[in-house]
Amino acid sequence: MKVASIKAGRYSKRSPRADVGAFLLVIAVLTWITGTGTAKLGYNWQWYRVPQYILNHEDGRWLAGPLIDGLMVTFEITGASLVLAFSFGLISALCRLSDSYLARMVARVYLELIRNTPLLVQLFFIYFVMAPIFDLSRFASAVLALSLFEGAYASEIFRAGIVSIHKGQWEAAHSLGLSAFDTYMRIILPQAIRRILPPLTSQAISLVKDSALVSTIAVYDLTMRGREIISETFLAFEIWFTIAAIYLLVTVSLSILVSLMERRLGETG
Amino acid sequence: MDKNVPGEEIIVVDNVFKTFPGGVCALSDFSIRVRRKEVLVVMGPSGSGKSTFLRCLNGLEEVDSGSIRIDGIALDEDKRNRLEIRKEVGMVFQSFNLFPHLTVLENLNLAQILVRKKTRKEAMEFSVALLNKVGIPEKANIFPNHLSGGQQQRVAIARALAMMPKVMLFDEATSALDPEMTGEVLAVMKQLAREGMTMVVVTHEMGFAREVSDRMVFMEGGRIIEEGPTEQFFTTPKEERTRLFLSQVL
Repeated sequence: MKVASIKAGRYSKRSPRADVGAFLLVIAVLTWITGTGTAKLGYNWQWYRVPQYILNHEDGRWLAGPLIDGLMVTFEITGASLVLAFSFGLISALCRLSDSYLARMVARVYLELIRNTPLLVQLFFIYFVMAPIFDLSRFASAVLALSLFEGAYASEIFRAGIVSIHKGQWEAAHSLGLSAFDTYMRIILPQAIRRILPPLTSQAISLVKDSALVSTIAVYDLTMRGREIISETFLAFEIWFTIAAIYLLVTVSLSILVSLMERRLGETG
Repeated sequence: MDKNVPGEEIIVVDNVFKTFPGGVCALSDFSIRVRRKEVLVVMGPSGSGKSTFLRCLNGLEEVDSGSIRIDGIALDEDKRNRLEIRKEVGMVFQSFNLFPHLTVLENLNLAQILVRKKTRKEAMEFSVALLNKVGIPEKANIFPNHLSGGQQQRVAIARALAMMPKVMLFDEATSALDPEMTGEVLAVMKQLAREGMTMVVVTHEMGFAREVSDRMVFMEGGRIIEEGPTEQFFTTPKEERTRLFLSQVL
């Protein structure tokens, strides 16, 4: 709260005109670079062919194009993975902080194994090795791989958040007779999660982007749909740029949503 | 009940040893008895083990050896015993340790509902009564960070009282406060003492100790150097070390 007011104070002293000017200048430079770059490429741009892959107008009705279908699958995968990843993250963080040697070791091995190998290899391992054993669908394999991967990073974020809570909070809860479970649920986690909301958001954004990798095991997400369209039409740059813009739209919306949430939480604390 | 009639022994500490990792000896063959309704003030230079003693009483620190019994319950390996003791022993900390994400009222309600299994309504009624008692009923729906230090500490006392403890421990409850706020917190503590609460108080407030306590303990190096009725302790201390300490702080 204090930080926010200091920031507001600093910005309010400056004229917004200078900021807007600087912003426009940056945009102009970027446009110029892109323009000259693509001109030198000698590429035949056919942007007019792109919209049909996003939305179709038939018989007076709007129909979702393949890219929107793909986006929906991306949403499903990211949503499911997000819930699972944060669960894995929280559970392994609690294991790392527990008194049990076994729990600490298991969490440690999980963390090191996942963080020190490429996601693509993990995805292939789960899809080609584990999936036949446990009879997992492509979708389930994708979700499992993504959530195990992002969960390892979320785990460290959760752990840092929990450790950052002052020792006195634990002691107060202890002296009131609260159980370990209640102490976590009512005292520690509500405070920790407020603090780790920004890094958790970054993690969620990474998840959205990393979900593009599931196209390698032929899950029909946004990226896979794009590749499919490109192989039929050779509109490589137009489609890739469109896909990038759609990812950007999703991640930026996510950031804005979380900062609104943060502001609301900030009002109470 | 008449305050001068000593009750039965509610805190029984026998031969407790406690060494911190690194070899710092906090309690060395420490034994003490506290009677019901008694106010015991513990003094001593910093590092003398007085805070450790308090923290051992509700299981915040583990003892290496020796025994602690609170109202007949042994503070041992048995988890139910430990929980029982945590419920019966209230503690007030130097740094208040209020829950910053909960309002004052929620701070008071929480353990009543979760641990004492009261309904929300019952808890609420008692909480409001306690806030009246510590003199800040108007702060019920405010978050702790918006209160002054003295007010926060009074809320912390009310929160501990909400569990209806048999014993209250005060670990330098006024050390983080300026003199004006110290006064308002000490007033609440005095009132508690008058009502017959059993209290173990670690403090540097000589005036408070002299006025409120029944018995004084002077500690150094994890041992009791001197122990006795308050008036005698202040006027005719037996030990040279106590005299030296008193001459420096009075």
